[in-house]
Amino acid sequence: MAALCRVRHRWKRINCIQLLTRNLTGTFDYDLVVIGGGSGGLACSKEAAQLGQKVAVLDYVEPSVKGTKWGIGGTCVNVGCIPKKLMHQAALLGTALKDAQKYGWQIPGPISHDWSTMAEAVQNHVRSLNWGHRVQLQDKEVKYLNVKGSLLDEHTVKGLTRTGKEIMLTAKNIVIATGGRPKYPTHIPGAVEHGITSDDIFWLKESPGKTLVVGASYVALECAGFLTGIGLETTVMVRSIPLRGFDQQMAGLVTDYMEAYGTKFSWRSVPKSVDKLSSGVLQVTWTDEQTGKDQRDTFDSVLWAVGRAPETKTLGLEKVGVKLNKESGKILVAADESTSVPNVYAFGDIGEGRPELTPTAIKAGKLLARRLAGQTNELMNYDNVATTVFTPLEYGCVGLSEEEAESRHGKDSIEVYHAFYKPLEFTVAERDASQCYIKVVCKQGGDQRILGLHFTGPNAGEVTQGFAMGFQCGATLTHLKETVGIHPTCAEELTKVNVSKRSGLDATVTGC
Amino acid sequence: MWAFYNGRTQARGKREGREAKSHGGYSKKKLNPMAHRLLVRRIWTLSVKDLRCLPASTSSFSTSLRSSTTPLSLLSPKRTLPRSLPHTSHREVSFNVQDHEDFTERVINSELPVLIDFHAQWCGPCKILGPRLEKAVAKQKGKVAMAKVDIDDHTDLAIEYGVSAVPTVIAMRGGDVIDQFVGIKDDEALDSFVSKLVGQ
Repeated sequence: MAALCRVRHRWKRINCIQLLTRNLTGTFDYDLVVIGGGSGGLACSKEAAQLGQKVAVLDYVEPSVKGTKWGIGGTCVNVGCIPKKLMHQAALLGTALKDAQKYGWQIPGPISHDWSTMAEAVQNHVRSLNWGHRVQLQDKEVKYLNVKGSLLDEHTVKGLTRTGKEIMLTAKNIVIATGGRPKYPTHIPGAVEHGITSDDIFWLKESPGKTLVVGASYVALECAGFLTGIGLETTVMVRSIPLRGFDQQMAGLVTDYMEAYGTKFSWRSVPKSVDKLSSGVLQVTWTDEQTGKDQRDTFDSVLWAVGRAPETKTLGLEKVGVKLNKESGKILVAADESTSVPNVYAFGDIGEGRPELTPTAIKAGKLLARRLAGQTNELMNYDNVATTVFTPLEYGCVGLSEEEAESRHGKDSIEVYHAFYKPLEFTVAERDASQCYIKVVCKQGGDQRILGLHFTGPNAGEVTQGFAMGFQCGATLTHLKETVGIHPTCAEELTKVNVSKRSGLDATVTGC
Repeated sequence: MWAFYNGRTQARGKREGREAKSHGGYSKKKLNPMAHRLLVRRIWTLSVKDLRCLPASTSSFSTSLRSSTTPLSLLSPKRTLPRSLPHTSHREVSFNVQDHEDFTERVINSELPVLIDFHAQWCGPCKILGPRLEKAVAKQKGKVAMAKVDIDDHTDLAIEYGVSAVPTVIAMRGGDVIDQFVGIKDDEALDSFVSKLVGQ
């Protein structure tokens, strides 16, 4: 029957499709076909189904260069947020064990970490999430197809199965939520053959050993962070600045902590080549841009974290006329996630200018589904989105960085309040808290509206979430000061902030 | 304490009515999609030469059939492929299901009544129930077989049978689901469940 379907004549194809599936809409097989079963795609398809639409979601994972593949759920569930946070937790527990002795715990002998135990547990949890998603799709009556989707026209999607068979689907609306994949620096000899990416690290059955992480994005720093935390010798190779796009003072604190914590940093370095030696280890040659000299060292693994590229190449977008940003390759989208082609929408990591975050993709997906079902006109608000970088010292923030606030409002129109604090838990554990810091960037005048809020410290994500709500409500410094802190916590230090950068006074918080 | 891993933490509601009560008896509420799918599968199995297009069904199994160029090829497995396990189901009391064909052959078309153990690697309670099931089946001395289905390897099959939480155990006789339960049972309850399936 698929052979019949390959015939190009529209009438034959439509006939065939009518034979294949029930035709509720009268014209199309589905009200909505979503290509991509990640955070965004799943949220959108489930919401649409709940609103009575006939929905199909197409999910397909092209194996990584190393051959790693995974189930439904997208990047977040399989090779992103979830395994990352679990491994970050594993690393934090290692630190906690060390602290524990100061708190009286009798821990016999040296503590060591077994990668395989952790990896298996993490992988098992991810598999349970894959299953959970499948059940949810089933419950919500969303048709799931494990096929690689591509567009034939604004109402037709072609799906390619693993074995190469083709299926056709027609839909009133098509949504693209295929996300992105890690980039390989293909111009570096040996990079593709010998290196791995974040697609692979969480699925390794055996420890990556002594690892070189190339890159200084949050992916690079978070991975390097937990690798160090579980006891592996880790080096981060940075070309220019860490955490591009984030507040640079905060980024510096994050990397300072990591260096003190045991991660090696190779600043202003650019890798030149990766060779595999007869012993099996990888020899990396890089250029130290400060001295201009070449350096060399051996590693067990090389993890490339040099950016992510959108999954648009095999979608057939050019033919259909969906416009992309030439530089990034991402799909150009309007405020309502529509593309240059009517009835074709795109959101999530694939959308140009969109934050590469799960919660925004989920929310945008749900709103899109509601709009397509005619339930609402509400657009996704991409402003005031809080995020957290889960490095060994976590960094949470919402709103503008100090430099962005300066650039938008002028240095003289903003007031930056800050404080260096020490988490109570660090005291007995005799841990260095030099990088535990809070910064509140405010607009001068009146109640001083908060433009940006930054926090480094334990549980930064948990701390920042609550303040993000205040931010969303237009919180001012007055609101912050009027809020009574919960004691003893790290979060309360935000409510007590009162020293401005401008004053030049010492911002170190003394005990209560 | 959770006696099983529930795959659907959010989507509850309508499915709850369909989950079997542990005292047995599969509650058939509306037109049972699972029974429908089973019936569809059996018709397909029996009428090999019939290339009649099936009516729209939510079964992913049916979709995969329709999209294949030669439906026949699915039913007559390539004879050249060596099988490490015996064809006849009565020789193996407890086995791991390999694929859809294997399931059809050794479970649906089994001469013996079969217990289908849907489990997952990541499911703690499954690891407790598994050995208990083996013990209960062994006690029957060949009167009942047990088919083990890893839901990560055979997700479509598990979904088709309405599995949402694991462990789920389905009792099947002559291709019909006659009973099922979700979660852990103790040895006594298991013996009773299995005896009922055997027809004692």
